Amino acid sequence: MARTSDRRDDAWRVGVLFSHSGFMAIIEETQLRGTLLAIDEINAAGGVNGRELVPVIYDPGSEPVVFGQLAKRLMVDDAISTIFGCYTSSSRKAVIPVVERLNGLLWYPTLYEGFEFSPNVIYTGAAPNQNSVVLSRYLMENFGPRIFFVGSDYIYPRESNRIMAELVRRQGGDVVGEVYVPLRAQRSDFRSAMRLIKAARPDAIFSTVVGDGTVYLYQSYFDAGFDSANMPIASLTTTEAEIRAMGFDVGKGHITAASYFQNIGGSCNERFVSRYQKRYGADEPTNACVEAAYFQVHVFAKALESTNSMATDVLRTMVLGTEYEAPQGAISINETSNHADLWTRIGRVNRCGQFDVVLQSQDVVPADPYMVGAGWGLAAGLT
Amino acid sequence: MVLSGSDRRTAGGTGGEASSLRGELARLDILVAVPGDESGIFLIRELQRTRATVRHLWPLPETLPESADVIFSDLTDGLSARLAWVPGCAKSALVGILPAQFEGDLDLLRTLAVDAVLHRPFTARAVLTSLVMAWTRFGYERRLRQRIAKLDETLRSVRIVERAKAILITGRKLSEDDAYRFMQRQAMDRRVPIAAIATAIIDSQRMLG
Repeated sequence: MARTSDRRDDAWRVGVLFSHSGFMAIIEETQLRGTLLAIDEINAAGGVNGRELVPVIYDPGSEPVVFGQLAKRLMVDDAISTIFGCYTSSSRKAVIPVVERLNGLLWYPTLYEGFEFSPNVIYTGAAPNQNSVVLSRYLMENFGPRIFFVGSDYIYPRESNRIMAELVRRQGGDVVGEVYVPLRAQRSDFRSAMRLIKAARPDAIFSTVVGDGTVYLYQSYFDAGFDSANMPIASLTTTEAEIRAMGFDVGKGHITAASYFQNIGGSCNERFVSRYQKRYGADEPTNACVEAAYFQVHVFAKALESTNSMATDVLRTMVLGTEYEAPQGAISINETSNHADLWTRIGRVNRCGQFDVVLQSQDVVPADPYMVGAGWGLAAGLT
Repeated sequence: MVLSGSDRRTAGGTGGEASSLRGELARLDILVAVPGDESGIFLIRELQRTRATVRHLWPLPETLPESADVIFSDLTDGLSARLAWVPGCAKSALVGILPAQFEGDLDLLRTLAVDAVLHRPFTARAVLTSLVMAWTRFGYERRLRQRIAKLDETLRSVRIVERAKAILITGRKLSEDDAYRFMQRQAMDRRVPIAAIATAIIDSQRMLG
């Protein structure tokens, strides 16, 4: 039988799995920060039912296999059942078999390609019906019907592009090119992509490049002399963190669909941004992935306060249906899908590296990970 | 007779403990359906050491209650008829008890779909291992079944929405997008899943012939 050997018997221990190293560190480190900020806030306010929240943090180094091994280590050696973590779909898919078999709860704060439901995952990032649907229509209405796809070569881009291609074609548009670069792409890997874009002359580019490659893509585009005013790169994953890494002049005019931008205003968001910058530096931007990583810890703590138990079955029941005032606005955890009902926004990078919101939903958009409603009717809810 | 762990813990406990197996076992409701002889009492005592709630039920009722998390029962030909479920739809984990010299049909293990086996005479270690095996395997299977049920439901919904969309396109001369928007608006206004709206559309179409 498992024994409690931890001397801090009094603490609630949770696992944290975000890469501090490797090619995904640029964004995953921000999610780690969002997680730790929330944990600090909860502890500063007296913990959960008087007990401290203690994170057990490992660095999977951007390697999906290591994510799986560390999830096992957390659940088996550290006797922890709740894990906050994962950015890439490959890492999530490496952790899921472990949490399903050992009955843990993975809190996943990243947008992804949808078409998944695990009873052992709480999904707090956007599903395609909460970002891709609106983005495809926005691009076609404002720039034209000819879209070029460029992505990193792994699950998320290929699946995301499958959905995006369907959305574009059904609105009478056309995918005029589709190219994939290696997941650990170098600057030189984007040269041929730029040549293909030049030849195809699309109206907009849809990028699913993630990690360090994001910076090379936008810089290669800039160096190739393309104009973001007429042929912007649109993405679901390029956040304030990547814009900062590539340079504000390089990022200006490009487009991202996300539930959250630092620039959205609101008192809850302003408090969040100021606490984040106080802790990590005044020039450190927040972003959608930080925000989800941050609010999901608070949603967890709110549920834990009621259950006073970390047992997965007890906790999950309490989490489903929970409502929370997040920096992006009021959100809730959808009872039928384990996904969060989130806000839909489209932002365009200004010259300060921030996103100006050009479109936003009037209310949260219910998660529809399998696109059962095909997510088309969002027009009604947009301003 | 209802026996209960004397200091049965509530769902709380320390962070480490609650996530551990010990905490999980302490929350179980275990039904022991064996004769209350010396070996039966031993089995009950050992199970109580986990701090689970242990209920002793003897003689065997017509139908075993389906409220328990785990059931310990002798494997006999008659057991199948007393279970409140058919194989594949189990409501409780089942630990099948076999005598030391088992001469009967091994196929009972398959047809009763037992989750673990416990041999007589009982030892403390064997009681615990059978409990842990049965409960963890059963839990995993139940989670997978739940996931599959959700997938089935989703696939059904997709099909229903497609059929309703076709009805709206031909019957109301709507475009594909407008048909979706119509259903989604209805679903949002009524706060029901879009599949419920689609089903209503299909049903009313059927009624109108």
